[in-house]
Amino acid sequence: MNLEKVIFSFFMILALTLNFGFFYGDVHNPDHHNVYELYAVIVINLIATIMKFGDRSQLGAMLLATSLVANVQLISAAIVWAVAEHVGTAGVTEATMATIVSLSGGAVLANIISVVLLTLEASMLRH
Amino acid sequence: MINPATSLILRQMRAPLIVIVTVFSIATLGMVIIPGVDENGQPWRMDFFHALYFVSFTATTIGFGEIPYTLTDAQRIWVLITIFFSVFGWFYALSKIVSLVQTPIFKKAVIHANFRRNLEQINQGFYLICGYGETGQDLVEGLANKEKRCVVIDNNPDAIETLEIQDYLSYVPGLEADAKNPSQLEYAGLTHPLCQGIIAVTDSDSCNLKIAITSKLLHPHIPVIVRSEHHDYEENMKSFDTDHTINPYDTFALSFAMAMKSPALYLLNEWLTGVPDTTLSAPVVFRSGHWVLCGYGRLGKRLFEILRQLNLSVTIIDTIPALKDEFHLSYPDDKTRFIIGTGTDADTLIKAGIEYAVGLVAGSDNDSNNLSTIMTAQMHNKILSIIARQNEMINKDLFIASKADVIMHPSEIVARRIRTLLDNPLLLDFLQECYQQTNEWINITVSSLSGSINELTPHCWTNTLNEVDAPAVHSALSKGRKITLKQILKSPMQRHQIICCLPLMIQRKSENILLPDNSEALEVGDKILFCGIRQAETHVEQCMLDIHTLNYVMSFKNTPDSFLGRVLTGNTRQKRRTDDR
Repeated sequence: MNLEKVIFSFFMILALTLNFGFFYGDVHNPDHHNVYELYAVIVINLIATIMKFGDRSQLGAMLLATSLVANVQLISAAIVWAVAEHVGTAGVTEATMATIVSLSGGAVLANIISVVLLTLEASMLRH
Repeated sequence: MINPATSLILRQMRAPLIVIVTVFSIATLGMVIIPGVDENGQPWRMDFFHALYFVSFTATTIGFGEIPYTLTDAQRIWVLITIFFSVFGWFYALSKIVSLVQTPIFKKAVIHANFRRNLEQINQGFYLICGYGETGQDLVEGLANKEKRCVVIDNNPDAIETLEIQDYLSYVPGLEADAKNPSQLEYAGLTHPLCQGIIAVTDSDSCNLKIAITSKLLHPHIPVIVRSEHHDYEENMKSFDTDHTINPYDTFALSFAMAMKSPALYLLNEWLTGVPDTTLSAPVVFRSGHWVLCGYGRLGKRLFEILRQLNLSVTIIDTIPALKDEFHLSYPDDKTRFIIGTGTDADTLIKAGIEYAVGLVAGSDNDSNNLSTIMTAQMHNKILSIIARQNEMINKDLFIASKADVIMHPSEIVARRIRTLLDNPLLLDFLQECYQQTNEWINITVSSLSGSINELTPHCWTNTLNEVDAPAVHSALSKGRKITLKQILKSPMQRHQIICCLPLMIQRKSENILLPDNSEALEVGDKILFCGIRQAETHVEQCMLDIHTLNYVMSFKNTPDSFLGRVLTGNTRQKRRTDDR
């Protein structure tokens, strides 16, 4: 067992699970989507992305790309939230919430691809 | 594909970046969780947006203060912790990243990537020059200032740095790499389709040999020009069809022989192969009599052989006694005196007969000794002719100030020869023809040349009368028009004026016509070697390229090219064709 691999996989899977947790629920309902959870998803995703830096293999490039996609989606969601709450006058409406949640839904997809790739790589390893 | 160095740097940046993200996220979370109060004393909590804003300006030590509301003591405790961790975390990560970017391996990767980008941007043929020593520098200067593209490879970082600060007419990319390594040579553009030739002028024969082999195997069709100091290497290089090998000592000795046997020919050679628009070298005349030769090394031996062939009485001076024995072994019957000494002191020189000598050759491989010899000799003999060997470029001004009659710089001679080979091979044919001519003929040529140029070293160029290089002349000749040399030597500005230019030779099939007469009719496929001032080159070029200019200088009726122009002048296409006849 390789500790580095454990940490690496831990962050990637945690990114997916947290992301799913935030995404799960009624799309319009702000009560179903916790702001702390979104914050945690972003932080964990950033760390997962940084951990993928500098891998020259094709798989490494794919993993980095999926992580970057997830980051773009999640950070956009956070920006939408912040703008809606602090810049606009209407506050976080149902429509805004739907936008935020669907953006994070995209990130879920990217994170799923990430984890699938990771699993594939692990299954291809010969022992 | 990502560069290995970049990938390494990215991997090493993981830790500092994770530190930043972790510290920032914990600090932000703390600011959100710890309750505060607003201006009215009501409970208030920062949201993520304000918390991130607060942590960002605190961690980066910008410090806008306690906004939007004054903090409570609980919050202040957390901020205190935040400051110590985030400020240090931030600076640690930042300094780590900055130092990573400045590591030599990363810098090198960036420089290589820049070099490669510059190489890709070259869209005309270029020469790959290996070695940027004195010969390399001289060569690049001559080529780049004629707007030929060059690429330099040298394993000495100082040499590449020198190249970077040079201000040539066309940009010369330089790569610090080992030319002995085939993959590095390939990287430097050896296998590039636009690579027109490779020139190996490093100071090591074995390195030059390796470059020649590499290029003959990897890009067999391009010419290879190699500098080589030893005859066995030269033989080796010739065995696998190296196009030109140039031995600096032989080349120097050849120049020396030319200067001794026919100063006029030497002068002609100097003028035609020199760097254009520099001061013209003055003619020299050598009287016959006694010569003193200082230095009997590899070069000195060759020079003595030349002096011996001319039946001149010579005294040799050298410091090494072993060379004296070697000399007596190679020339057992020769009565030439060989004096052991430095040649820099008056005693040795007087013993060698400097007071009644007509000439002195200061030919050692040490510039200070050569200069000292010259100055001492001049004190004892005011009318002495002096041939000086200059070893280093930096001493150029000293040699000029020493008033030596002929200053020869081996690396410059090699550079000149290579430049002429690449730039104007017809000039070499011309000079070869000149060797066969009498002194009188050469004197006449020199005087007619000085009539058609100014006080500056002339430009020499070749025009080939083919479809690509001279479309105007080619099409006119194909239509049966008769063009003489005299006609294309008229100014395109004012056809009554003759431009300052002298046709030196016409190469027609395998026949060389030296100093062709002005009434000589041109033929398709002729290669014409011209020599003249800078403007003359552009003027002749213009006649060669542009049919209207050609028509003008030949006082030929010009016809408009555009449809409207033709209609207005009443020239239909049909009529125009008959006009062109």
